[in-house]
Amino acid sequence: MTEYALEVSGLTKSFGGQTAVRDVSFRAARGEITGFLGPNGAGKTTTLRMSLGVIAPDSGTARLFGRAPDAASMDRVGFLPEERGVYRKMTAEAVIVFFARLKGVAAGEARRRARAYLERFGLAEAGRKKIKELSKGMAQKVQIIAAIVHEPDFIILDEPFSGLDPVNQSLLEQIIREQAGAGRTVLFSTHVMEHAERLCDRIILMARGQKVFDGSVEDALARVPRQIVLGAPADCDLPGVLSGFGRLERIGEEDGALLWRLALAPGADAQGVLRALVDAGVRLTRFEPRRAHLHDAFVALVGEEAASPADTAAGEA
Amino acid sequence: MRAIYLIARREYLSYVATWGFWLSLLAVPVFAAIGAGVPALIQGSQPVRYFSVIDETGRGVDEMIRARLESERRIEVRDRLELMARANAGEAGAQAALAAFDADPDGLSGLDDAIAAANLGGARGVLAASSSQRVLVDAPGAGLEDLRPYLTGDRTVTTPEGERGLFAVFVIRPAADGGIAMDYVSANLTSTGLRSEVTGFVRDFLRRDALETRGLSAQEADALLTLSPEVTTLDARPGAAADAEVTTADRAPFVVAVMMAFVLWLAVFSVANMLLTSLIEEKGGKIIEVLMSTARFQDILIGKLAGVAAMSFTLFAVWGVVGGALSLFAGAALSGMDPRMMEVISAVADPQLLLAAMIFFLAGYLMFGAIFLALGSLCDTLQDAQTLMGPVIWMLILPLLFLFFSLEASDSMFVRAASWVPLWTPFLMMARLPSDPPLWEILGSGALMLATTALVLWGAGLVFRQGALGQANADSFKRWFRFGRGRKTAD
Repeated sequence: MTEYALEVSGLTKSFGGQTAVRDVSFRAARGEITGFLGPNGAGKTTTLRMSLGVIAPDSGTARLFGRAPDAASMDRVGFLPEERGVYRKMTAEAVIVFFARLKGVAAGEARRRARAYLERFGLAEAGRKKIKELSKGMAQKVQIIAAIVHEPDFIILDEPFSGLDPVNQSLLEQIIREQAGAGRTVLFSTHVMEHAERLCDRIILMARGQKVFDGSVEDALARVPRQIVLGAPADCDLPGVLSGFGRLERIGEEDGALLWRLALAPGADAQGVLRALVDAGVRLTRFEPRRAHLHDAFVALVGEEAASPADTAAGEA
Repeated sequence: MRAIYLIARREYLSYVATWGFWLSLLAVPVFAAIGAGVPALIQGSQPVRYFSVIDETGRGVDEMIRARLESERRIEVRDRLELMARANAGEAGAQAALAAFDADPDGLSGLDDAIAAANLGGARGVLAASSSQRVLVDAPGAGLEDLRPYLTGDRTVTTPEGERGLFAVFVIRPAADGGIAMDYVSANLTSTGLRSEVTGFVRDFLRRDALETRGLSAQEADALLTLSPEVTTLDARPGAAADAEVTTADRAPFVVAVMMAFVLWLAVFSVANMLLTSLIEEKGGKIIEVLMSTARFQDILIGKLAGVAAMSFTLFAVWGVVGGALSLFAGAALSGMDPRMMEVISAVADPQLLLAAMIFFLAGYLMFGAIFLALGSLCDTLQDAQTLMGPVIWMLILPLLFLFFSLEASDSMFVRAASWVPLWTPFLMMARLPSDPPLWEILGSGALMLATTALVLWGAGLVFRQGALGQANADSFKRWFRFGRGRKTAD
């Protein structure tokens, strides 16, 4: 049995002459939470669709549980697409039961699980209501339940947090952790790096249709220079004092003092910077070492321009 | 198979749970009843046409017209008596009643005896009532100018219904050639029934008069005027007896087959439209991608087709059972009046015809349903769909036109050739079946139709897969056509 729920190799796809995904390869190891990150238009959705065989790649291969996607392997996958909707005239419970049965769960068991999940998601009362009577957030929770109700080995969630309020985003994070804790593989795409940072064992960064990073969150953060935000009166010669410690950039003013950001050079540390400033008699109004975030790592990896949403929607088609 | 079953089941239940389904279920019998009753309703709801005749010929033309109207009423009462007497007192009772009625060969004085002979005491009013909507009343003036106010409604005449205006006035005067000239005056410019009828009476009068002038007796003149060949239509189809006359029951399947073809057309058109609308709704509601990540696109396509087909068969089954039960009930009741009625009903309920209708419906539905689904997958709105639907709608409408031809000439080369076009085969071959087309034509066009159905399903699947996820849309057609004309695409 392969140790990977998903292996994609050299996936490439063009639409109307425009390349949406170019030569993307990665693997999702069993039991891991993998974040599939990138701005809108980076090619995430197209890659996920090709991974599941929903659309055919122009070149490259995708393997689910060690074989080409087929009906049997798809039954072991729970997929929440980005473009999602449910039958508005069906009740929440009926929708969940319908998708569970499509994935091979027996009718009675599907109903039992639907009720349990609705309860777990705080929707017990809404189970018998039609989707059109539910709020957008409630309907989205029904869709998430429909994607995991058959208790798949591999869960793929495309932008699962979009449209959810902070409380439900937190609930979804908890659910994702629970699913991973139960030994399931989770792959989710998002353009909000904070979710990935909190949840993922591993991240794959996409930009302009290409993979730009594949590794752990720590590895990604290690690509970002550590930073310190400094505040000092305008008459202090900070560039002169800190010339050997890294790149200094003025970022604004605060209470009559100038604010600076120092990106530490390799080998430099906050302790050394502080010592140098004190020795030079600089009257500090602010000294704030900052933890790097995935967004910083992303910018560091691909540049500010590529980290912005692409001006074409082809990649997310 | 699981996905197909579940998708079909969901589609089926989603339709059955709607008001539209139940309205359709009820609408067909109700509209069929209305449709069947409309001619009688229109006829029955026409106001009585009171008219006068100013006869300036001095030849008794006005009296002749009155006598002809009376005579027609007598024939009407006699036919009604025969039907009711047969239903109530059997064949012997009917013959006795007719004999009593005919004791007065010109009037209705034998009606009471006839009623007694058939034990129809309670039905006198119905029997004696005239369904005639034309009543000749004495002219309330001597000349046309005197009668004009009656024609415009400014003045009225006394009738059994009360005071009424005149519908028309006939002014009949001698013609220069010794014949008769007739002026028809009415404020109603469109209704020509009364004018035609009275013109017919006067024409017969002139002919009879001309024959009598040439020395023939009145009886001889009548005999000449009613001369007509006695036509017997015999059935020369294989298996029919040498002297087998063609009956209504023999003709019924031809009419029924064309009617079934119309019903098939209507069903295919409305059901395929349902599929299109539902798919566009699913695309708009972003459900289709959820489905496509759960089941194969072929399963979705077939599941949807199967679900809506099952819904259609439910409608047909209910209509069939209700219609069959009503026909049997009505047939049993009416067979007392006319024993041929049950023959007609059993000819209509031919299992082979019904089986063929089912097969042709399925093939027609699959072809057009798959095409509509494929087009629906390319469209985000019904407006988009209407743009693409034009050619398909024309392909659907053309066989409808051919069906009119097939009623009179189902064996014409044109209809025969058209029935080989696979998209038209279900409708045209259905209409041709009772005329026993050659077996090779049935099998050949059927095989071509089935092969086309498979091809259409396959092609629709490909288009559906591209269209459902937005990889192709209505604009793709424009690009293909531009490519076809050798122009460069914007891409």
